[in-house]
Amino acid sequence: MFILTKIADLVQIAPHDFRKQSYVAIEDNINSKYANKVVQKIGLCICLWDILWTSEGLIGQGDGMVNVNVEFRMVVFRPFKGEVIVARITDQSSEGIYLATDFFDNIFVPWTELPEGSEFEPNENLWVWKEEDQVMYFDNNEMVRVKVISEEWHDQTPLKPIETEEGAEEQPAAVNSKPPYKITGSMNGPGLGCCLWWE
Amino acid sequence: MKILEAQNALLSNYEVYQHIVDQRKRNKEQNRRVPGNAHHIMTEVLTYLRQKPSPLERQEETQAYSPDAIPRLFEKLREANLPSELTKGELLSILNLRPPSTAVLSTAIEDMEERFTDDEQNKIVDIIAEVLGRDEAEEGAEGGEGGEGDAMDADAALPVENGH
Repeated sequence: MFILTKIADLVQIAPHDFRKQSYVAIEDNINSKYANKVVQKIGLCICLWDILWTSEGLIGQGDGMVNVNVEFRMVVFRPFKGEVIVARITDQSSEGIYLATDFFDNIFVPWTELPEGSEFEPNENLWVWKEEDQVMYFDNNEMVRVKVISEEWHDQTPLKPIETEEGAEEQPAAVNSKPPYKITGSMNGPGLGCCLWWE
Repeated sequence: MKILEAQNALLSNYEVYQHIVDQRKRNKEQNRRVPGNAHHIMTEVLTYLRQKPSPLERQEETQAYSPDAIPRLFEKLREANLPSELTKGELLSILNLRPPSTAVLSTAIEDMEERFTDDEQNKIVDIIAEVLGRDEAEEGAEGGEGGEGDAMDADAALPVENGH
């Protein structure tokens, strides 16, 4: 579920970091810029894997920042299509089940991808799988195996300010409510679903 | 910022786990503080990888995964003379999930029923248990010598390679 991505970027080391060794300063800089951030069409960046090449540091006019061109590899979370991962159930609704791993939150299994015979219990907000007299519950906080079927990317470029009429007090802030990276999964198949069922 | 290669290599969970653990050890020795968001996500990934039913949960004690466990697994699978070769994705899934049964193995391998007989499926599960160890506490520390793993580079030759 993790891949390596080769990225080239300009790293600016501020003077207060000159006390650090070069590779330490570069590593910290890259980690603070990329860690826990989603890069569109690439995935969720975790941390730096290694530095492949750096240029000499050049100091520009006007400030004391040392500019270094760096080529490096990043550990990125991006499960491939058809991969089976383990996640935890966080929430359920009539649309389907929401899952999350400790570090990634937007995994969704629509109700069409649950095993045949699954029903939603509105009283308890739970999905239940009924099969041949066996009733199995999808409990919240259970670990499940889910197969990745697709992913969605939503660009989070800020929208331009909305024009309001004259006399309006405040402009409503345009908010991007869609997550930048969303994974859709399926639990319909042998071995998928709660880990406890298959032990 | 320029993305040079969107997917340079695939990493197994074990390799990421080892990388973060080594990084932590180095930081401790050098008394070095990492930026907040990096520390946060590395802690979360580590927590995730250590959680049941992940095979790395008891990695500290059993050291079931090691740099030579991976080639050993491929070697054994090759020796088993299976009728159909396993693709890279399937091998990666096996490494990550460590299927203890044929039901879970079917999630890792596509069209398992058609490509392998029941006997062969059981053989694969046995090989996995032999090289990578099991979950049960009764089995005790199984397999493995210590060490770190290398990334499975896209161009590195894998012993069991399919045309995919």
